[in-house]
Amino acid sequence: MTKMKEIIKVNGLNVGYIDEVVLSNLDFTILSEEITVVLGKSGCGKSTILKTLIGLIPPLSGDVYFFGEKVDYNSEIVLKNLYRKIGVLYQSSALLNSLNLYENIALPIRMHFRELPAAIEKEMVYSRLSQVGLEESVEKFPAELSGGMRKRAALARAMILDPDIIFCDEPSAGLDPITALGLDELMLNLKKHFHITFLVVTHELRSIDKIADKAMVLNEGKLHYFGNYPDMKQLNDPFIDSFFLKDVKYDN
Amino acid sequence: MKMTSKDKNDSDNTFCLVIPETITIENVSTLYNEIKQIEKKHGVLHLEIDLKNLREFDSSVIAFLNYVKRNHPDVSVKNASEHFEKLLEIFPLTQVGPDRAASREWLSFPRRRVEALADRFLGVTGKFTRFFMLLADEIYYTFLYLFNRKGIYPGEIWKQLFYMGYNSFPIVCVISFLVGLTISITSLEQLQRFGADIYLADLVGFGMIRELVPMMTGIILAGKIGASITAEIATMKVMEETDALKTMGIIPEKFLMVPRLIAITIGIPLLVALADMIGIFAGMLVSWKLSGITPNLFFNEMLLSVDLIDFLIGMMKTMVFGWIIVVSSGYKGFNVKQGAAEVGIATTQSVVLSISAIIVSDCIFAFLLY
Repeated sequence: MTKMKEIIKVNGLNVGYIDEVVLSNLDFTILSEEITVVLGKSGCGKSTILKTLIGLIPPLSGDVYFFGEKVDYNSEIVLKNLYRKIGVLYQSSALLNSLNLYENIALPIRMHFRELPAAIEKEMVYSRLSQVGLEESVEKFPAELSGGMRKRAALARAMILDPDIIFCDEPSAGLDPITALGLDELMLNLKKHFHITFLVVTHELRSIDKIADKAMVLNEGKLHYFGNYPDMKQLNDPFIDSFFLKDVKYDN
Repeated sequence: MKMTSKDKNDSDNTFCLVIPETITIENVSTLYNEIKQIEKKHGVLHLEIDLKNLREFDSSVIAFLNYVKRNHPDVSVKNASEHFEKLLEIFPLTQVGPDRAASREWLSFPRRRVEALADRFLGVTGKFTRFFMLLADEIYYTFLYLFNRKGIYPGEIWKQLFYMGYNSFPIVCVISFLVGLTISITSLEQLQRFGADIYLADLVGFGMIRELVPMMTGIILAGKIGASITAEIATMKVMEETDALKTMGIIPEKFLMVPRLIAITIGIPLLVALADMIGIFAGMLVSWKLSGITPNLFFNEMLLSVDLIDFLIGMMKTMVFGWIIVVSSGYKGFNVKQGAAEVGIATTQSVVLSISAIIVSDCIFAFLLY
C-alpha cells in the first residue's frame, strides 16, 4: 500500500467575511487518496470553507498548506500554481454558456497547455466525456443540457488535468438517485485508479455512506468532528445522530 | 534528453516505441511528434508500444495510446503493468465525433445559403409577431390593472417612477440645455446674415418642443432605462426567477412590465416639460447675449409661432417613445434563454432596437403631422 501524503493541512484557520466569522479555529489534515465529506446544517459554512481553501474567499487568519507548502492567498502566482493541481465542481456546475460541451471541457487544456496536439486533446476530452456518459452531447451548449448532465460535464472539466484533489460543492444535489450513484462510483474509480483526493460538501446520506473515508462535521461555527467516517457513526453523538436521522421522532 | 528509444526491425516491418519513464501532459507532445515522424518516414507499420520503463504518468499517455490505436490498424502494447491495464479499461477507446467544421459538410453550399436565408426570414417574422404580441399583452394588462388594481407589487410604480423620472432628470436637463445652446449658436450665425435674428425664438421654440426634446429624451432614456430593464429581466430569466413567478401564479409580463409602463407614461411628460423649458432657456440666453434680444421679446416672438397643440404633440410623441422603450426592452429581456453572455447581447440589442424604433416612429409622426 502506498504511503498517504498530506494534501491539505490547516492550522488555526478562521473563515468568514470581513464583519462575520463563520467558522473559527479549524485544524485538520486531508490525506491523499481519501474522500472527505463535509457535513453540517445549511448555512453552517460548508461552502465557505471550501471557497476559502480554493482562494475565492480570503481566510481571516490561520495557515493553509497545500502539498506541504504554505499557501499565500494574496499571491497570484501561488494561486495560479495551485489551480493547476486542483479541480472544482461547483454547485451550479458553472459551465460557460457561450461554449459547447467539448469547448468547456477542453478549456483548462487550452488555457494551460496550448501546445498540446489537437488530436491528443480530443482523445482526453472524449475519454472524460465517455466516463461521465456525455459523449453524445459533445456539440450541445450548457443551456441544452439537464441539471444532471451539467453536473457530470462539470466533473469532466474538473478532472481533465488529472488534479491531485477535486473539491465538490454538493455534487449530487438535484440529481436522480441513479445518476447520483453513477457520480459516486466515478469518484471512487478516480480515487482508486488515479489516486485523486476529494473534498465533498454534501447532504446526500446515501452518497456519504458510499464514498466517505473521512468526515468533517461543522456545527455552531466550530469543527465538531473530524476523523474516520466509520468511527464517526459509532460515536453516539446527539448532533451527528440527528444529522443521520437516528432516533428522530416526529409528532405524527 | 532523448524521450523515446525506437527500433525498426526490417524483417517483419515492425516498429518498436519504448515509452520513457515519465510521460505527462507536459511532455506527451514529444511522443505525438515522434509518431508523426515515424509515419512520415516509414509509412504505416506494425507498431509495438513498450511500456516497460513507464513509471510516472497521467491520463494524457492513455489519450496518446488511444490516438495511436485509432490511427494505426496494427498496434500492440506490451509490458503494461496491472495498474495500467486497469486504467485502459477505465479509459476505453471511445467513439470520437467528427470535427465541428465538418458537421454540415453533407449540405451543398447553395443549399446551405438558401437554408440560412429561409431561417433568417422566418426568424425575423417570428420576432415581429412576438414583439407585437407582447405589445398587445402589455396594453391589455395595463388597462386590466387600471380597473382591478391586481397583479403587480405594491409600491412598484412609485419606485419605477422615482428611478425613471427623478433619476433621469439631471441628464435629460443637461443634454437639453447643451442641445439648445448648440442649435441656437449655429442657427443664429445663419440668421444674422439676413438680419433675421429675432426668428431664432421661433426656430428654437418650435424645434425644441416639437422635435428635438422628444427625440433627445427618447434616446437618452433608451440608453438609461431601456438597458437596465433588459438587463434586469434577462438576469431574472436566466436565474429562473421568472419561472418562479409563473409557478406562484404571477404573470411575469404583467408583474414586471406594467409598473414600468405606467411609470414611464406619468414620468416622461414631466421630464419633457422640464427639458422643453431648459432648452428654450438656452436659446433665450444665446439670443440675449449674442444678439441683444431681450427675454421678453424672445418669448413674445416664440408664442406667435408655437401653440399649445405643438406642446401637446411633443408630449404625445414622447409618451409613444416611452412605450417603445419599455416594450422593446422587455421584449429583449424576456427572449433571453440562458447565460450571462446572452444578457449582455440582449441589453445592447434592446438599446439599438429602441433607438431605431424611436427614429422610425418619429419619421412616421413627421409625415402624419405635416
